[in-house]
Amino acid sequence: MKQTIGLSALALMLTASPALAQSNTATGTVAIDGQVRSVCILGDPNPALVNLGQISASSGPRTGKIDTIAPRTVTLPASFCNFAGSVVRVTTTAMTSSDTTSPQPGFTRAVNYTATASGWAVGTAAATSSALRDGTSPTATGTGATQPLPKIADIAVTLSNFTTPGDLILVAGNYSGNVVVTLGPAAVAD
Amino acid sequence: MRKLLLLAPLVIAAMPGAALAQNSGASNTSTKNVGVIGTAPAMCFAGTVSGNGSYDLGVLIDTATGQLRSDLSAPSKVLVGSFCTGRSTITVEATPLAAQNSTVAPPSGFSRQVNYTATATGWTTTAASYTTGAAANSAATQTRASAYTNDITVAISGFSTSGGQSLRLVADDNYLGLVTVTIAAVN
Repeated sequence: MKQTIGLSALALMLTASPALAQSNTATGTVAIDGQVRSVCILGDPNPALVNLGQISASSGPRTGKIDTIAPRTVTLPASFCNFAGSVVRVTTTAMTSSDTTSPQPGFTRAVNYTATASGWAVGTAAATSSALRDGTSPTATGTGATQPLPKIADIAVTLSNFTTPGDLILVAGNYSGNVVVTLGPAAVAD
Repeated sequence: MRKLLLLAPLVIAAMPGAALAQNSGASNTSTKNVGVIGTAPAMCFAGTVSGNGSYDLGVLIDTATGQLRSDLSAPSKVLVGSFCTGRSTITVEATPLAAQNSTVAPPSGFSRQVNYTATATGWTTTAASYTTGAAANSAATQTRASAYTNDITVAISGFSTSGGQSLRLVADDNYLGLVTVTIAAVN
């Protein structure tokens, strides 16, 4: 055990001498690595719910049929993608009556319309629903052109061209539909 | 114990990779929903009356007897394109054919009113009908359960002299009655 202690002290002395001979400035390099993931964020729709009120005409030759409904615009503010090659897609679901009973001949329980998203790339992304009068086949999808650069912008979604299959009379009731707006890479279909 | 120590670092190393994959998949696509709502109120349209909107019965009496003709008739009227957008009722009401100029109570043996039955078909399984002068008209209102559109045919028939068929009708150039058909949305 005594021999072992003596050897250790000698070793400490030997290693201290080279340190005293070095410069008083030292330079080192530390690498910092990070990543920025591809991100798309759509702004919250304003308004999130479009209330058309009464959609059927209450007088005149079109009584009971779809009334003239002015286009409505929803804004998704400050939407962005931080990468090149993104697209906007809209999926439109026709408005249908809460009463799911198949309508009598001459009536419809579906209202079709067009949703158009603009402000992202050249042109627009548009989808027009084409539900049948019984409310089946209510959805349609449209994808816009590819945005070649990272971008931040307000995306405007306009709902227009409200029609009924065959211009039939609307059965009474509450109607609802929805538009799904998707912002993402062009290579991702869904 | 040694196996445990070796496995632990492998688990730790694998977790960051899984987390990154999840973030990448969730964040490069953003989706928002916009709802669209509206209302179609219940409403009814009683169509367009075919012709001139009146029944012309001509001379009401058998000129040989002075009593009501037994062969009175008139073509039906049609309410073209009637519809209701929901559950509905159809109601028929009618007023007797009454002398418009001779309004005083007729002398004994005479009458100044003619009763009849008005019937509306084409809307409900059981036709709505109303007989003037009847004590009750339980069939005057019928109900249809769902939205419907059709032409409604309105007929008048079953003419009878008020007070009895043996009575004679007082002379008057203008006997007038009225048939009213109403279709109404109901809850």
